Amino acid sequence: MTLAGRRLSSGLIVAAAIGGCAAQPLTTGAAKTQAAAITDQSPAPAGINIPVEYFQLGNGLKVVLSPETSAPTVTVGIYYHIGFRIEPRGRTGFAHLFEHLMFQGSANLGKMEFIRLVEGNGGVVNGSTRLDFTNYFQIVPAHTLETVLWAEADRMKGLAITQENLVNQQGVVKNEVRDNVLNQPYGGFPWLSMPQVANENWYNAHNFYGELADIDAATLEDARAFFETYYAPNNAVLVVAGDFDPAQARPWIERYFAGIPARALPARPDLAEPVQRRNKRHSYEDRIAPRPGLAVAWQVPERGTPEHFAFGLLDQILLQGEDSALWQKLVQQRGYSGGVAGGINLLGNLFNYDGPMLWTLYLVHDPDIAPDTILADVDAEIARLRDAPPTAAELERALTKIRADLYDLAGSSTRFGLVDLLASFALFDDDPARINRIEAGFRAVTPAMISDVARRYLRSDNHTVLIVEPGQVPAGARP
Amino acid sequence: MALALGLAAVAGAAAASEAPPAPGAPRGFSIPAKDTVQLANGLSVTFIDYGSVPKVTVLAVVRTGNLDEGDSTWLADVAVEMLKEGTAAHTASDIARVAADMGGTLFVGAGAEQTTVGISVLSEHAGAAAELVADVLRNPRFPEAELPRVLANLERSLVIARSDPDSLAGEALAKLVYGDHPFGRVLPAPGQLATYDIAGVRGFYQRNFGARRTRVYVAGRYDRAALERALARAFGDWSAGALPSDLPPSASETLQLQLIDRPDSPQSSVRMAVAVPHPAHGLYFPTTLTNSLLGGAFGSRITTNIREDKGYSYSPDSSISARRGSALWIMQAEVTVEHTAAAISEIYREIERLQREAPSAEELDAIKRYRAGLFVIGNSSPNGVLGQLAFMDLHDLPDEFLTHWVASMYAVTPEQISDIARLYIVPKQMTVVVVGDLKRIGDSVRALPELEGARMP
Repeated sequence: MTLAGRRLSSGLIVAAAIGGCAAQPLTTGAAKTQAAAITDQSPAPAGINIPVEYFQLGNGLKVVLSPETSAPTVTVGIYYHIGFRIEPRGRTGFAHLFEHLMFQGSANLGKMEFIRLVEGNGGVVNGSTRLDFTNYFQIVPAHTLETVLWAEADRMKGLAITQENLVNQQGVVKNEVRDNVLNQPYGGFPWLSMPQVANENWYNAHNFYGELADIDAATLEDARAFFETYYAPNNAVLVVAGDFDPAQARPWIERYFAGIPARALPARPDLAEPVQRRNKRHSYEDRIAPRPGLAVAWQVPERGTPEHFAFGLLDQILLQGEDSALWQKLVQQRGYSGGVAGGINLLGNLFNYDGPMLWTLYLVHDPDIAPDTILADVDAEIARLRDAPPTAAELERALTKIRADLYDLAGSSTRFGLVDLLASFALFDDDPARINRIEAGFRAVTPAMISDVARRYLRSDNHTVLIVEPGQVPAGARP
Repeated sequence: MALALGLAAVAGAAAASEAPPAPGAPRGFSIPAKDTVQLANGLSVTFIDYGSVPKVTVLAVVRTGNLDEGDSTWLADVAVEMLKEGTAAHTASDIARVAADMGGTLFVGAGAEQTTVGISVLSEHAGAAAELVADVLRNPRFPEAELPRVLANLERSLVIARSDPDSLAGEALAKLVYGDHPFGRVLPAPGQLATYDIAGVRGFYQRNFGARRTRVYVAGRYDRAALERALARAFGDWSAGALPSDLPPSASETLQLQLIDRPDSPQSSVRMAVAVPHPAHGLYFPTTLTNSLLGGAFGSRITTNIREDKGYSYSPDSSISARRGSALWIMQAEVTVEHTAAAISEIYREIERLQREAPSAEELDAIKRYRAGLFVIGNSSPNGVLGQLAFMDLHDLPDEFLTHWVASMYAVTPEQISDIARLYIVPKQMTVVVVGDLKRIGDSVRALPELEGARMP
């Protein structure tokens, strides 16, 4: 979802998950190593060690600096603590629409000028809206850092949007929804549809992309109020990672951002979800989809707790990778589908959210298999971990996968994942250095804790099942 | 300056009070070094020693794929999927577990001209990763009992693809542009997958896999001497096999239009394609810049027009799709139904404007800096460099393609951009496909003057 633009393509092709856009690889952390000595003989390296310099400006803007010189670029991210969970009632999709408006002009940059400034300096630019934040980011050649900081500050100071530009972006966003949801088989399944049926609290259970009518109803006054309420420096974090000198960057940040006044922030609404104590089942017809889809979701432990780390390992053992228990059972042995996907936070990872969360798994299968047959197999695999802790080999394999993911994040030349985690830990926990303790958090989990978490959270009587019923494929669709 | 400006301010309020601070001096960038060794059986190994974390990718690229399947569409995909179903020494489950114990997942994929088998692992497992990749490539068991499941999975992917407007449009476009060449057949016919048997799979493998078609790429951090020994051990006695096949396609140069009805589609999927210089052609650099300026960047002319000005589309995009000896410029946009013809018309208008007048030096320079920036981002990761080298090897490009890349690009003039548009991005030679609700689209697309006289299949 999201984008105010296009994605940067990555070098290697990753095996595509079934439904397409939703599922993210999962996980996690980040980090770079100081060119650790690597030989076939050496013991496993001591984990990641990301440089983290953290401070706050007088106006409350959080700033994280993380210098690293392996590529002559810098990645700049600004994360505002406003996601689609808490957008106004009657204005579903507004947080995302507003993300688009942030590209429509500010005091010193007219429409398209922000994008031209970044691209014309050799960078890429985008933004995205998630449950609990909206982010704006650029990857630029190292020597253009000051220019980008100035531009981000310019639009934090205030927007200059016309009615014409609002109408234009309403059209773009409606096309985005058609592109990614309405005109796709399995569009929005299950990342958009599952929260609406598994959650009870409106904030967690509304249509995050927005009803087209709500998108149309948005006004300039709505946009002004939204900006005034949420786009304050004391509701944001600025992260700079890459090839730069913090001693040089810090005065720039002071110069461009420190004068933006802090504003009173509204109390965050109560996002709490009641504990689910019974199974729920919903289905809907997807007019375009040719085969049934099945998703199951459970509530997960509170983020950052020892149980949450244990759940992260449980997720690795059950669902992540082709070695996982559910892949082996559902895909390799039973042949229900070509893949099973999912995880904690389908639009991100274990750490970049701030509220209630679901663990979701999903697949597309053939009509001759009943959903309950698949669900019985799912439950049997989970029951194995409810009944007995994972073996030492299983646990070590899960930790190895996490370590590899952390290195991938740390070694990525885009530094997206790194910036994302630093921003999330700063914004939600006021502690970006937490990034360097992720692996320790997982290492502290015992096999017994994993079994305990499976018993408490992944029961047979507290999940939500979502079924996609295939519609009739329009006759003319077959050439 | 400290005041937050109201949103109601008009665009005119933006009239330049403050200019962006100028960028500093650009830093140098050198492409990570690589070297290649060749084993006695003809298999080459390219080493890229680069990266900031203890990970390594071992990727075998075999010069085969859909190109070699004749009219057995997706036979290559079936055979390559079956590689994962076990070797003489390992079951499929073993492979998945062994891979995970190294911190990786074995990935296999059949492409049009390149098939890949590889894994990215923690550095200490580099040698074992090489052995696993070699085992899967050299010793597949092709268990007949697993074939029905693999075929059912592909059949499911196929029916989903046929429900997806993007796949339908892509299939039609390929057929019109490449005709009877294997590149013209993107999706199998109904019932076709069910006719494939294990003998066909084995036959495809035996005809198309071997040392002479294979190059192994290693990228990341690793013990070079130990890994080189492991690779020589793992691949050194693989039989040479056939040389790569040479079947360059010829792309249509006829004006063609196909309208595919998809009742109630809430958007129309527009695709436009035309042959342009391929990567080994002398005009490739100006061609890729032309693409970026026209439709290949957020700030490009077509995106500015049909997205940021008109709001017809969310993510219009143009790109160069390259095969050995043949490349296409492809424009794609999912557009509001009522603006289908208008969107196509605006795309033509941008092409024709570029044909008429050269872009300003300022506009072109911005695009050059954008591309130079992407070049640095793309080549500052081990897997980015690996992908770049595999692309160059496919197209027989010399090292200078990479080492002179930035200089070659900066040498392009505004007039060359217009020349490319005039010589190659020629509306009268284009193939146009629209998938959408034809009841609502009506005659509007057919009536566009640029499509007058189009062959309609």
